[in-house]
Amino acid sequence: MNKSTTAAVPALRLTGISKTFGSVEALKNVSCEIAKGEVIGLIGENGAGKSTLLKILTGIYQPDQGTIEINGAKTKFRGPRDSVLAGIGVVHQEQSLFTNLTVAENISMNSATGRRFGTTFGIYRWGKLYKSAAETLEIIGSNLGPRTRVGDLSFVDRQMVEIARAIRVDTVKGASPIVILDEPTALLERGETEILEREIRKLKDLGSVIFVSHRLDEIMRNCDRILVMRNGELVADRPTSQVTEAELFKLMVGHESRATNHQRGKVNPDVVPVLEVNNLRRKGKYSDISFAAHAGRVTAIVGTSGSGREELSRAIFGAEKFDGGTIALNGKKVSGWRTPKAVRNGVAYVPAERKVEGMVGTFSAAENIVLTHPGSAAFGPIIMPWKRNQVARKWFAELDVRPNDIDQDLERFSGGNQQKVVMARWLNDPKLQLLVLDHPLRGLDPGAAETVNEHIKGACTNGAAVILLADTLEEALEMGDDIVVMRDGNITARFDVSVDDPSTLDLLERMV
Amino acid sequence: MTTTITKTDTASIAQKATADGLRSRRAAKLWGAIGPLVIFIVMFAIVAILVPTFIGGGTGLSIVASSAAPILLLAVGQALVLNIGSIDLSNSALTVVGAILLAITLGPLGAVAPVVVVLVVSLFGAVNGLLVSFFQVPSFALTLGTLGIFQATALVISNATTVYVSQNGGVVSPLYTTRIGTLPLTFLLGVVVAVLAWLMLRFTRVGQGMTAIGKNESGAIFSGVRTRALKVTAYALSGFMSSLAGITIIAQAGSASPMGLGSDLLLPGITAAIVGGTSISGGVTNPVNVIFGALTVALVPIATAAIGIEAQAQSLVYGVVIIVVVSLTLSRNKNSIVK
Amino acid sequence: MMTTTLSPEQSSGVNEKLIQTASRRSLLKSLTEPLSLLGALVVLIVIFSILNPRFASLENLQNLLNQASLPLIIGIGATFVILIGSIDLSVEGVMAATGVTFVLMSANSRGGADLGIWAWLVPLALGVVLGLASGLLYTKARIPSFLVTLGMWFVGLGIATVLYGTDAYPELSNDALTVWAATITAGLPNVFWVALILMIIAALALRYTRFGRATLAIGNNEDIARSSGMPVTKHKIVIFIIAGALSGLAGILAVMQMGGTSNNIGDGYLFITIPAVVIGGTALSGGKGGMLRTLLGIMLLMVLKNGLILAGVSPNFEDMVSGAILVVAIIAVAWSQRGRLRIEK
Repeated sequence: MNKSTTAAVPALRLTGISKTFGSVEALKNVSCEIAKGEVIGLIGENGAGKSTLLKILTGIYQPDQGTIEINGAKTKFRGPRDSVLAGIGVVHQEQSLFTNLTVAENISMNSATGRRFGTTFGIYRWGKLYKSAAETLEIIGSNLGPRTRVGDLSFVDRQMVEIARAIRVDTVKGASPIVILDEPTALLERGETEILEREIRKLKDLGSVIFVSHRLDEIMRNCDRILVMRNGELVADRPTSQVTEAELFKLMVGHESRATNHQRGKVNPDVVPVLEVNNLRRKGKYSDISFAAHAGRVTAIVGTSGSGREELSRAIFGAEKFDGGTIALNGKKVSGWRTPKAVRNGVAYVPAERKVEGMVGTFSAAENIVLTHPGSAAFGPIIMPWKRNQVARKWFAELDVRPNDIDQDLERFSGGNQQKVVMARWLNDPKLQLLVLDHPLRGLDPGAAETVNEHIKGACTNGAAVILLADTLEEALEMGDDIVVMRDGNITARFDVSVDDPSTLDLLERMV
Repeated sequence: MTTTITKTDTASIAQKATADGLRSRRAAKLWGAIGPLVIFIVMFAIVAILVPTFIGGGTGLSIVASSAAPILLLAVGQALVLNIGSIDLSNSALTVVGAILLAITLGPLGAVAPVVVVLVVSLFGAVNGLLVSFFQVPSFALTLGTLGIFQATALVISNATTVYVSQNGGVVSPLYTTRIGTLPLTFLLGVVVAVLAWLMLRFTRVGQGMTAIGKNESGAIFSGVRTRALKVTAYALSGFMSSLAGITIIAQAGSASPMGLGSDLLLPGITAAIVGGTSISGGVTNPVNVIFGALTVALVPIATAAIGIEAQAQSLVYGVVIIVVVSLTLSRNKNSIVK
Repeated sequence: MMTTTLSPEQSSGVNEKLIQTASRRSLLKSLTEPLSLLGALVVLIVIFSILNPRFASLENLQNLLNQASLPLIIGIGATFVILIGSIDLSVEGVMAATGVTFVLMSANSRGGADLGIWAWLVPLALGVVLGLASGLLYTKARIPSFLVTLGMWFVGLGIATVLYGTDAYPELSNDALTVWAATITAGLPNVFWVALILMIIAALALRYTRFGRATLAIGNNEDIARSSGMPVTKHKIVIFIIAGALSGLAGILAVMQMGGTSNNIGDGYLFITIPAVVIGGTALSGGKGGMLRTLLGIMLLMVLKNGLILAGVSPNFEDMVSGAILVVAIIAVAWSQRGRLRIEK
């Protein structure tokens, strides 16, 4: 293991941290150091112990064994507040802002601050509050207005507010802040990640950063050192310059990444396309959208936020309205298009917000699977429990869902397994014609992502058309047969991958 | 440099964690299934011990069942609405409207009258559902408004006075006078309805869809569930139960008035549903247990009177008992927010 | 792997435009709802004045404010409770309990002692205790507020009934107390001054104190509030104590207005206050709304009640009109936010 060779006291040092829950060892003897000004990447599959480690750092859990040292001083975090006072700030993946309050209030919400920032004995002095918030925003290079209601901000702006709040701790004790970014780019589009990466560079001057992500290319690009966790242990601690992505994948997962071999189906001009969209428009979101999706092919739609592709894909599923133009399925124009109707006509949709939209968390996995297309599990309106279980078991085996308990509440499964169950629900439709996927690999560890991709391609082979809104351009290029580029609500380019062989640069140019 | 990778599977770690929590979750599930029944039996036993004459000849149970009948009907309807995550504050007012309507029409229409009343009141219930689902308004406020409208309707059609059944009372009164064991048919009607509701929720796509809406409406929408139609259905069923409750009132009393029997059933109905294990936030209910919830709620005032607690203190006892019983039967998720 | 970088100017330029529009939009949104309520109020006043000129007389307006005062006081507590996403159904029970306590501790027709200041403090303390009980059961026993306060309603009624006993109806002997509420001081009834002052304090607290802002935060997202280190449980209990105290005060004032009481002094207040808060635009889910809105909502309903009576509408229809207005109001509010994916329970 490489230890940092600086003589200065590390900003954070963990020694022998262990944590057990019941009979499960979530963390085993984890030791590492972070120096001031370092950006550390933290990677690992879901269940490897990353989130437990973070929860210990933020004071939500206390370690069973081991010590934490902040600036050389042994510290115990009895609760989140202690962690904040020590200079640790977190930017979560799920937003943790109060949407009904202003930017300034949210930034000052860490009660570690207080008197100096606009409240005197519990009374708010709004002038001062706005001013100090504006100062903090300037430090991180954002020009957000402090009076804006957070609920009115876009996602990436809200993340700026979260960062501002996280670094607010620096002015408390003169301690250098340690900012933890927990999967910050999972929900960002291409252009927005540039903004975040600029922030990370700024934060290096102020303190240290722990960057948690599944995207190995971003980890490599932004971090000085990378920590790899697996099964509760720290299995690697390497400087970025001394490791490759492939090695990282192997360290995380334990096997080589399977080679992807996507048979690109050819377009058959005699067959009516599964989906034909003509001059579709929705005021303020997109206009003049015309394209077709063919059976056996994947159409990837790429674009930044504001491009309109999310709204478009939901309109195709009937989950959002459109103001003009037509949608045709297998040559027949649709009318009165709402989700129940779309579902009846063989359209499927895997949403990006899995927990909220993709599943009914407190239903069991089996109940979720048969909710939309019960197939053999239902006789007319009647559901037969034993048949339902049969169907569920079949899909559990097919998709290798773990743990193998079809009656467990879906929310108790890990993200990757949840997504597999969601896929199963749609694949259970024998008349599946169009599969629309919105960021299907978001938050999935690489192993689960592979399984999902395999089955997307499988659906293609079975004759469905696929529309994919991918997280990254690389994913779009790898999976897509056709690529449609959108910007500001319009289609700016189309590519046939096997013919045109576009590069990420070609796509980017037309996206921004 | 080599790195050690242990053999322990990530999956089995997760499985072990599941097993530990499983025992406590199983216990909670068991209590959820039999809790309401246990509570009723315990309460009934307490009364029987204190007042031995209470159970003599089965009179005690019979009195409780008669009183519980309209409460049970309303509670089942309310449970179905609570199950989709909404609430129906107007069901008691609808009951009164139904009862008054029946009193007025029994004479001229005879046996057709109950059918008409059921249709009309169910339709009103459906209107509630249409307003809630199509205009996407909070059900608490909406049904509070329709409560006022229906209450006023009752006042208007009855002219603010008691309406007596002129003739053909025999069409419905057997519901009350016929007994099986010591239990009146009105109560057994409620039991049948509760069982049917239970079957519907568990074994039909309609029922599963409703429960899905209550658990996670967004998830239900994106699963292609016909959320609007199902919401209207739930409210229509609540209206349907209200109409049945109105019929039982006429069966029992032969008359109806805007301030009389049935007008104060809103809170007992909601309480009975919750004591029966229905979650206020939606997605969890067991109509069969609501039967015991209704019996419990009906038992409290009867029991306090039988035990001899003075009339003044009855409200006090009712309030305390409600809080205690509800806290016992409430389905609580450890990490959920209680509002 | 080659990646292309956006120049900082490009990305921030886009952001600036979005930011400024967002700021302006916030301000606009927060004003339109109360303004349209105010507009509706004005329209109603005009209509009723036309239907019966007596409506617009000074005497009637003072009477109106007199009637609106108690709902306003209760409305303050109700607004706080609803802002954290809970509900308090115990209002009428608490009023009954404190009202009877007040009467029996003051000089009254049943005899008994006149306990002076204690006749005020004890009922108020009772209100606080009942509120505390509700708050504790809600937070510690984790029973939904709907059910806890439902139970408390009966408990309060029960306390009132037990205290009331079976003797004759007690009347306040001290006439000064009886007339105080409606006496006009500086153009407005005394009791309305009380309500107004309390409401102003509450509005200021919501805007300018940590307590007020925390209330909004908790109502918006309790999980985040907790992990930010806010003392959420304590805060909620305090809110229920405030609501209990205000209901208690309302009970005392109601008895003064009536000159005496049985245990039904609180009847009807719940179904005025809650709809008023909702019509005012405070969301039942919490985190949105405020005192000004409640004031408008209550004035709207009271004007309606008063106006309908003066216009000669049969009392049978009163509930229908209030009910219809509530329905229309919430549909109107929800109309602009309709969407296929919008969830409202």
